[in-house]
Amino acid sequence: MTETRPTVLRARGITKRFGDREVLRGIDLDAARGDVVSILGGSGSGKSTFLRCLNLLELPDAGTIEIAGSPAPLAHDARGRARIANPRALNALRAKTAMVFQNFNLWSHMTVIDNIAAAPVHVHGMARAEAVARAHDLLDKVGMTGFAGHWPRQLSGGQQQRVAIARALATDPDLMLFDEPTSALDPERVREVLDLMRALAGEGRTMLIVTHEMAFARDVSSHVVHVRDGVIESMGPPALMFGPDASPVFRGFLSPP
Amino acid sequence: MMGESGTGESGFLADTALAIVAAVPVTLALFVACAVGASLLAGVLVAAQQGRVGGLVARAWIFVFRGTPLLLQIFMVYYGLAALGPVRHGPLWPAFRDPLFCAFLAMTCCCSAYIAEVLRAALAAIPPGQIEAARACGMARWTLGRRIVVPQMVRLALPAYGNELVMMLKSTSLASSVTVLDVTGVAQQVIAHSYRTVEVFCLAAAVYLGLTAALTWLLRRIERRLDPAGGR
Ligand SMILES: Nc1ncnc2c1ncn2[C@@H]1O[C@H](COP(=O)(O)OP(=O)(O)OP(=O)(O)O)[C@@H](O)[C@H]1O
Ligand SMILES: [Mg+2]
Repeated sequence: MTETRPTVLRARGITKRFGDREVLRGIDLDAARGDVVSILGGSGSGKSTFLRCLNLLELPDAGTIEIAGSPAPLAHDARGRARIANPRALNALRAKTAMVFQNFNLWSHMTVIDNIAAAPVHVHGMARAEAVARAHDLLDKVGMTGFAGHWPRQLSGGQQQRVAIARALATDPDLMLFDEPTSALDPERVREVLDLMRALAGEGRTMLIVTHEMAFARDVSSHVVHVRDGVIESMGPPALMFGPDASPVFRGFLSPP
Repeated sequence: MMGESGTGESGFLADTALAIVAAVPVTLALFVACAVGASLLAGVLVAAQQGRVGGLVARAWIFVFRGTPLLLQIFMVYYGLAALGPVRHGPLWPAFRDPLFCAFLAMTCCCSAYIAEVLRAALAAIPPGQIEAARACGMARWTLGRRIVVPQMVRLALPAYGNELVMMLKSTSLASSVTVLDVTGVAQQVIAHSYRTVEVFCLAAAVYLGLTAALTWLLRRIERRLDPAGGR
């Protein structure tokens, strides 16, 4: 990673247990501004859990997280259970991130334009008129001009995901988290979302992307991370990870015997 | 229509209709007061259910008021409480002596239990992903409740809630059992003098039909307004 770009994410020793099952077993990951990190791994390896730990949708049992200079307000009670030390700091931290979900999760009671303007207005305190104007620009950007007044359920999956990406961009986040953004889409709709994400990567957005789209990971990422059984099995630039010198385990994951 | 029956017949029906229509404000006032009171109380019950102690209280409340007949509850408030010394001699006696107030109180408690169940079901039906999306962008708890949870809850609850309101409107007729002169009360009064049960009750029924039709129309308009995409 380059020395000059500021660090956006610093995660150390992220550990997460569900009951007796240790799903994350100490994950360290850094990202500098403009990095596009693809997270690959088998089903149940802990990719989603890791992503959700970063914005504290899940509370890691151990480890530290720092996003754009702010440490995650994690504390542990007497029994060692994780808890939020400061709700205000938690929301401030989350406000620096944005998440794009597999199932879009647009707010179904809001029109497209309100979905995009909601966080700027209700989290960042932006004036509504300004937020709406910016939301229109974002709609143009994601190729959804003219859909401002539509309701989420009137849109196709690909269209909903593009709106969800516009919603994520609306707060100009330091770090964008994508959890399998194309996995719920028809094959012919996957392209439109991947093309948009490719454009974002080109603009220097810092993105962590859990995906099964190998070609996308190879072409767009600055780093590829292979998660297996709750640890990072191997990681590196795509040229290495998709080349002959990649770890045999990862090669086995890419092309199972 | 009633021309053949002579002026006496049509005169009686006209007078009865007028008397019954004149009682509509009482029925409506009781309904509106109960609708507002029960809805607010139901909101409190649902909020209480989020905590452990509050949850027990709320569940007991719902158990009792949903599990016993509304008519009995009205009797209990009107006749039962009047028998208690502290109520009889307390500062609120003027209110508890008033049958309309007693009907209002009993109906509010009873309907709050039903509406609380409707709201609880709606709360449980909110897609968790949408709440997660709000948390993920750093929305504070209170804002999330106000901007995401409550609006979704209202939309999800509306059909069943509307049903409860229609039931409530018709249940106001039970107030006549403790001498309230609402639409049903006036109808019974006229019957007591005229013994013309069928015609008078038919007139009263027509008035209720008109009221429920208006209410359903209003509810459908609200539903469509809240979700224009659903109407098409
Ligand atoms: N809330 C939860 N409670 C209990 N177990 C959970 C919870 N969330 C995830 N798990 C378990 O943790 C493990 C890792 O899940 P996770 O969703 O992180 O996997 P993943 O790598 O994202 O898989 P996939 O590719 O299928 O999405 C799985 O075994 C899953 O069953
Ligand atoms: Mg997953």
